[in-house]
Order: sequence, then C-alpha cells, then structure tokens
Amino acid sequence: MTHSRRIKTARHRLRMAILVPLLLATLFAGPQLRAEPQHDVLVFLSLEGHDIRSTQNPELDGFNGHGTADLLYTYNSERFRFLAEYILSSSENEMERFKAAWRIDDQTLLWLGRFHAISNYWTTEYHHGQYMQTSISRPGLEEWEDESGPMPSHVTGLALEHDFPLSDSSAMSLGLAAGLAPKFAVDQLVPFDVLNPESGHDLSLSGRLVFRPDVLSMKQIGVAIAHNDIAVVSDSSPNLTDLNAIRQTTAGIFSNWRWQDWVVSTNWVWFDIEMQYRDRDVDDNFLMGYVQGEYDVSDDWTIFGRIEIGDNEDASPYLQLLPSVIAHRHMLGARWDIADSHALTLELADTSTQGDDLNHDNFKEIRFQWSAVFP
Amino acid sequence: MRRSTKKLLLIAAMVMWGDAALAESAVVLVTSSDGPIQEMSSLEVRKAYMGVAVTVDGTTVRAVRRADDERLNQIFLQSVIAMSERSYERRLLSLVLRSGVPRPAEVGDLEELSELLERIPSAVSYMWRRDAEGDPGVRIIRILWQET
Repeated sequence: MTHSRRIKTARHRLRMAILVPLLLATLFAGPQLRAEPQHDVLVFLSLEGHDIRSTQNPELDGFNGHGTADLLYTYNSERFRFLAEYILSSSENEMERFKAAWRIDDQTLLWLGRFHAISNYWTTEYHHGQYMQTSISRPGLEEWEDESGPMPSHVTGLALEHDFPLSDSSAMSLGLAAGLAPKFAVDQLVPFDVLNPESGHDLSLSGRLVFRPDVLSMKQIGVAIAHNDIAVVSDSSPNLTDLNAIRQTTAGIFSNWRWQDWVVSTNWVWFDIEMQYRDRDVDDNFLMGYVQGEYDVSDDWTIFGRIEIGDNEDASPYLQLLPSVIAHRHMLGARWDIADSHALTLELADTSTQGDDLNHDNFKEIRFQWSAVFP
Repeated sequence: MRRSTKKLLLIAAMVMWGDAALAESAVVLVTSSDGPIQEMSSLEVRKAYMGVAVTVDGTTVRAVRRADDERLNQIFLQSVIAMSERSYERRLLSLVLRSGVPRPAEVGDLEELSELLERIPSAVSYMWRRDAEGDPGVRIIRILWQET
C-alpha cells in the first residue's frame, strides 16, 4: 500500500469513526433531558436542481443536481458545551465544525476547535442548515471556500463569545477569534486540515460586535473585522507563480431587521488585500455586498429577492484568482413551507462570475430545492 | 393535519366549549415542590423557553416543554412566548445551529413531567392549574394564563 493510500484509508476510517456515532445518535436521540446534561441532534436534508443558460458562453450551459445531509450534534452541561457538524453530499464529505467550549459564566463561552469564521455574517447565521435560510443560494461574498468564496469560512483555533446585557431584553455580543487561516491553492482557499497539521497555514484574527435590540428576536446590526495571512501554494497553478502570500484585511457591517412581514438582511465588506509576489507587492481594494429582502405573503409563502454588487471588484487582481466567484447577481425567488419542517423553494437569477480575466461570465440560473430538518 | 387547520379547530373548540370547559381554566408555571426556584418574571420565563440562559435564585433554569397536550401548548405559545409555533420552532433550531444550545426538553405525559421535576430541581414547566394542584410533587410559581 502506498503512503498516500494509507493516509487516505486512515482519513476514511477516522471520518467513519466520527460519522457512525453521529448517525446512530440521529436515529435514537432527540432533545432529551434524561440527566443534567442536555444534548440535541439535527439533520438538515436538501435536494437541489440547478440549471444554467448562457448566451455569451454556451460552455457554461448545463443542469446539475445534488443532495446534501448536514448532521449536527450538540452537548451542553453546566460548564461544558460541544458541537459537531458533519456534511455529506454528492460532492463532499467533511467535518465542518468540531469544537468544544468552556462556559466561563452565563454570558461567556471560550471555544476551541474548528469553527466557521465569526466575521462572516451569513455563515454564522445559517452554517450548512439549508432549510434555515430562505433562499437556496448564498451570496457570493459569503460562499464557502470550495465554492470560490473570497473570504475564509473555516478557522481552527480559539474563539471567545461574550454577551453584555444592556437592558432586560437588549444586548451587545462580542466575538473574538484567533486561529489558522486557509491557504490558497489552484483557484480557491483551502481550510486547515486537522488530519494534516503540517499543511502550511498562517494566522487568522477576527472580531465582531453585534447589537441585538431584542435578544428574543433575530434582529441585529453589527460590525466585523478580520485579518488573514493566507499562505499560497505557488506551484499549484500557473496563475500563482511567484505569489508567496496574500494578506487579507476585511471590515464589514451587517444587519438583519424585521418589520412586521418584511425582513431585510445585508452585509457589506471592504477588502484590503496585499498580494506578496517574489519581486513586488500588489495592493488591491474593493467592496462587495448584498441586500436581501423577504416578504411573508402568508404563513406558508415567502417571496424574496437579492442584489449582489460591489465597487472596484471588477478589476480586482485577487478576485481574478477566483474565476468562479459571484461578481454580480440579481435574484428573485419564492419559498413554500409545505409542512412543519419541509420547504420547497424556487429561485431565478441573472448572474455574473468573475471569469478568467476582466470579462465576466454572464448567465441565467434557475434553482429549485426541497429542504427539511429532522427531528 | 396542517398547523393552520389545527389552530382553527382549536379556536372553534374554545368557542364551542367556552364557559363549560374553560371558565375555570388556568395555565401555571411549575417546578419541583422542594426546588430552589421561588419566583420568575414573565420575561424570564420567555427567555428560558427561547434558549437564553436565565439564572434565578442562584440556579440556571431548565425549561421543559409538553408534547402531550396540543391545547395547552397553543395557549402557552400564544400567551407566554407570543409567537406562532413555526416561528418558535425556527428560533430554537437557529440557536442549536448557531450556538449549540439544545432545544428545551419535551415530556410525553404528566407522569414523566413529575418524575423529571423531582429529578432536576432547576427544571420548570407549565401545566393546567387543576393538574398542578392535584400533584403534591410540584409547586406553582406563577399563573401564566387564565381564562376570563
């Protein structure tokens, strides 16, 4: 057996060792209180069809479908909390989050492990729970690393969460995180692999401050900053030749606000990037953001739309390294909650990806999805 | 049965049974008869049932839901939580997903509830007043809803 095959087999066994108990827990456990500690298991399932039509580039045309199962397990005791999230899909199997926390007091948690970047608003709201987000697609700004997301989504390290109560019902939440950032290889960011600790990752630092006018609602407005030292695997692509590192600093403002039947969520992020080549540095600054509006037509029906735009992003040398990143999108959709925990969603979009040069690839998209959560 | 249909039937039942069945009805918050929790405000009850850590009389409150009484649950959701069942469930799911906060435990019948309250002194739940008054193992903390 070759060395790489042995590593692959060991990784497969480790994944199964983690996955099988999670699946068994899914079958036999719900929210229970058999003893003092509590645990909970959720399974988010989704099936999605996605069709693309482009008049500009017929090579993009095509239909693809995929299914995803997101398994989540949590354990909570007086002083300890644990969370594991494993995703199984037709395109990937991955331990998304694996973290444990020491509860310092009712307002403070110190996490250790692999977590989603706290500076990414959408990611920290919905994670992989497809049923929980109204739309099928994620904004391009907040796409996962392997979907050409421009910001790191996974960090391995320490994170501190603290709530400052302001009154009986309002609060400020502070988050601070330090850990290992993804590296850049071929045409995407690649998160730290716990199974390959010597894989060459640099530092990620991030923070966020969120105001919640009513802690019992989802309403919030916040700011987030992050600095990521991204190591580059220069020999993984001709586009990366002589590029040694990417220093990415981001500052963003986000909000989720509800007025009766309307919900508006938005996030705007300013990127300050330094691309360090062997013989020179290239500075890159741009803005990316989106506004998503949702309207509850009835208890069961929601219509929604999203605009994704930016400033100076079209000419960004950094984004040109991510040819599939969503540069612009205008999207409309409808969601039908057909039962207690099932939904059918349809989305239509006019989308542009960055493409290989300054000329974007433009196409029309139609997506449909069934999503659900159990138990 | 669809949730909206259930609600309509519930309202119809309330109207039809009206005076006879509900005149003396009240929903109360209960805990173990020798538990440490003496008082809870309605905001604290709401927070505890929505996954926010609430400490009362030096004890972190454990909220327990009832899975055995549809009418009791509807009254509790409308009068105390002030949310539709779907919004409430989504809120709880969101907390599990975001922060790993487990959803409140559910009990299937009164016997199970009494057993649990006895075992976990920091647990609170809700009952019809007549059930609470007939169970020496529980103590009423406050009236949550009363038919007028």
